[in-house]
Amino acid sequence: MGPKRLTGILFFCGLLVVWEIVARAELINPLIVPAPSRILGIFWGLVASGQIPMQIVFSMKRALAGYFLAAAVFIPLGIVMGLYRPAHRLLEVIIEMLRPVPPPVIIPVAMLIFGLGDEMKIFVIFFSCAWPILLNTIDGVRNLDWVLLNTARTFGLSRADTIRQIVLPAASPQIMTGMRVSLPIMLILVVISEMIGSTDGIGYFILDSQRRFKVAQMYAGMLSLALLGYALNQLFDLLHRRLLSWHWGMMRRVE
Amino acid sequence: MNGLKQFNWSGWLSFGFLLCFWEIGARAAPKLQLYIPPFSQVLAALGQLAVSGPMAAHFMITVGRFLEGYLLSAALGVSLGIVLGYFRSFHSLLAMLIEFLRPMPSVAIIPVAILMLGIGDSMIVAVTVYATVWPILINCIDGVRHIESILIDTGRTFGLKRRQILWQIILPGASPYIVTGLRVGLSIALILVTTAEMIAGSKGLGFFILDEERSMNSAAMYAGILLVAALGYLLNRLFLYVEAKTMKWRHGMMARASA
Repeated sequence: MGPKRLTGILFFCGLLVVWEIVARAELINPLIVPAPSRILGIFWGLVASGQIPMQIVFSMKRALAGYFLAAAVFIPLGIVMGLYRPAHRLLEVIIEMLRPVPPPVIIPVAMLIFGLGDEMKIFVIFFSCAWPILLNTIDGVRNLDWVLLNTARTFGLSRADTIRQIVLPAASPQIMTGMRVSLPIMLILVVISEMIGSTDGIGYFILDSQRRFKVAQMYAGMLSLALLGYALNQLFDLLHRRLLSWHWGMMRRVE
Repeated sequence: MNGLKQFNWSGWLSFGFLLCFWEIGARAAPKLQLYIPPFSQVLAALGQLAVSGPMAAHFMITVGRFLEGYLLSAALGVSLGIVLGYFRSFHSLLAMLIEFLRPMPSVAIIPVAILMLGIGDSMIVAVTVYATVWPILINCIDGVRHIESILIDTGRTFGLKRRQILWQIILPGASPYIVTGLRVGLSIALILVTTAEMIAGSKGLGFFILDEERSMNSAAMYAGILLVAALGYLLNRLFLYVEAKTMKWRHGMMARASA
């Protein structure tokens, strides 16, 4: 840990101390901004009682279902669109028409069609994660080294083998970029959709706490969301390294 | 052909086919019409609402909030980004705070904003600024960091004042990064305005769309979505136009600097 990082941590702790003193001295309305010690206390209580973990499990089930569904549909579609120009031209206009729709605006549509259940949130996340995954996959396949493809053809690899052994590994770094960009989008959309139409999940929990004026509980929910976002990022980086090492291994084997 | 992009016949045909499929499918299944009205009805609703009714007012309110929030975050993000990128000690001071706040989904700030600012315009603008400032700030810091220090040193050697270094070296040097951040911020700002309007609003397009959904007025709801999408598309186009102009200015600057 460098001295720069240390000053950052010290400054951060200093801010917390100032916040604590200001809140205790009631310089700001404690009903709106409670002391950090109180928020942490409530947070631990809610974690220990299983309330926050339960809400997070509700949210993550929906979030991951939509996320992986988007990956399962749009990575194959992106590969097809990247490899076959006519397929790309066929769908290009539809994609360009749908892309400027801000994802939260899809929530009312999803509520109308699917009601307030899990399907609604899964659909919303599926829709919003689609674009970064699809466009990055297309780019990744397009930037493929054509020598690789021609070599595969020369050696008589079947189409399925070519995709599995050459296209997919070569495009995987950019596919992972798409998945990476989609990760915070997934988290944002699950929170929004739970705020607008849900009776559980961490997004609902935070908004509901605010509406009942359980302010410390609201901040505790936000804290858990920040920790969740951080943990998801770390987990993704870990998986990314694993998958990339597989990727480099494949490349070496191809060479 | 003369540098013109070839017209994408197959793309527009498949798009037209999709619309026809929507129209015919919705007409063939009246039960479905409650959820998915025929496309022609959506267009009719859009035309009708554009002429009469409150949609134009909602649209203007959303645009106003968007502009206010976006321009504020641009000013805040760029100025703070230059300070944090240029003075490393400031950055190391705030790095921990940024690292802690960034992974939290920005929409989680909405309940806090409601608590502090109520459910009016200022809440929506504040939430938009909070979310939009991140990409602009981070990109601006990166951009300032990537300026070759030799440029700044040269400026200093030639006796340029701080302000001149800022305007003639740092801002043009960091501008490609700043533009990237501003473009990412554009869609984020629109997302946050509509979201905040849906969660706590009585005006604006986000409110309008959700309200029409709740009153099962699906044609009007789709019309509102069409309008938001058009707004997003136009804003993006406008941005690209302004970017092209700005980049021209930048090339001029670079040419002058190298001459």
